[in-house]
Amino acid sequence: MMRKLSASLLALALVWSSVSCTSPVDYSTSQPAPQPPQETTVPAASSITDGAYPVQQATYDDSSGEYSLVLLNTAPEQSMFRSANLPLARLTDEEISAGKSSELRVENGQPALYLTPDFRIEYVHNVTATQTDPQTGQEQVVIVRREPSFWTPFAGALAGQAIGSLLFRPQYYMPPLYQPGVALVGHGGYGRSYNEAVSRYQSRYKAPPAEHRNRQYRASGRLRSPGSTAPRVNTNRPSGNGVGNSNLRRNNRRNERARPSGGSFGSSQRRSAPRRSPSRSGRRR
Amino acid sequence: MSLRDRFSQISGQTRFVVCRIFVHLSGREVAPLLGVLNQAVREAINSEGDMQVLGNQLVQVCESLLEYETFWQSAANEGDVLWDEGDAGDYVNELFTDSAARYGSEIGSDSNGNENFAIPVTQNVVVMLTVASEGEVPELETNLADVTALKAGLKALVNLNYRGTLRAIQMHFSPAQLGDELTSDQLIENFPELIPL
Repeated sequence: MMRKLSASLLALALVWSSVSCTSPVDYSTSQPAPQPPQETTVPAASSITDGAYPVQQATYDDSSGEYSLVLLNTAPEQSMFRSANLPLARLTDEEISAGKSSELRVENGQPALYLTPDFRIEYVHNVTATQTDPQTGQEQVVIVRREPSFWTPFAGALAGQAIGSLLFRPQYYMPPLYQPGVALVGHGGYGRSYNEAVSRYQSRYKAPPAEHRNRQYRASGRLRSPGSTAPRVNTNRPSGNGVGNSNLRRNNRRNERARPSGGSFGSSQRRSAPRRSPSRSGRRR
Repeated sequence: MSLRDRFSQISGQTRFVVCRIFVHLSGREVAPLLGVLNQAVREAINSEGDMQVLGNQLVQVCESLLEYETFWQSAANEGDVLWDEGDAGDYVNELFTDSAARYGSEIGSDSNGNENFAIPVTQNVVVMLTVASEGEVPELETNLADVTALKAGLKALVNLNYRGTLRAIQMHFSPAQLGDELTSDQLIENFPELIPL
């Protein structure tokens, strides 16, 4: 019975994460209630009213660092909560003996996930590979396979460690390094800010966490595929080469000029110089 | 810094600067620069875009560009200050696609099976550099279509690498290699934002 239940929960989590990963998520349309534009650095999370909501299930996806939660006692459309920047905290022993279970507490619009020591987060590990986009001829990193696992951030062994009472206050945590077939226990980095957690992870493992790693490596031009037998096309475009990488997270928002900017600059006198994106259609081949 | 920026800074948010610089060099003697540029991109590709390697290659390219200052013909730059990392990542990605769209990946000139044995020497080379950095970089956050400013900007890029705040690095150049050409027509058509220095 338990096996059947966990198998179907796993399947649900997988389907869920693959749906959220394969289609570009437009956060502004998935919010149930219209909200005034927020100017914060927290990547768009689902909107949810203040309160405490028991967590039925939590999933963490290591390609984006996004947590997906199934919550109880919420307003009708708010039961599925998603956020990429979620602080975690351990419930105190008093709270646990008083009967509290894992819950999402939202205060002043800031969510934090309070967990019992044995709460298992479903961990979705993404195996990536570099592929060439057939349309643009450019290289992109894509997810080829997902492996399910579990992560227990506050398993018993942690209680006595150096961070001590900080456990009970929400902090950002990175999961430990993924190992196939092994449930993940504890954390790989922690911090009062997301970046602090990342840099602690980095000093421990000498590499950035999966959700933060160089995932934006791209190459283009002739060097990208030496000896390619692409037919010569009579185009007025010159030849060229390019390469780039980034370890910045992405919102993947469609509308390029909708982002709140702290001030643009440049040699063009106009704020929005004409973009050459139309050249993407038609001219390549 | 604007009031909103100061507020963002006080509340502990990270400031990201994303900037793209175009440098156009012209003259017969600029073709050898393509050797340096190819080397840099090749190293980066071989390391699969490792950020350390990319940073070192960026330094090589900037230093070479500074050496070729006499051949600087025109330049341009654009950029933004962003307080959301996701927005910065998106912008960086758009800039890559836009930069790569200025040139083609097909073989533009028939360098294979060419009946005419003279190798054309390009009169023009354009280099496009895009970086994203945490913090403030006043040398980049200004109009770089000016020799002095551009010099300071390229030096700032070198310093950024050693400061360790670079979060994205891109290098593009055209034409692809010795023997390929970037004609004046192609220059005007594909790099309209260039401003004479």
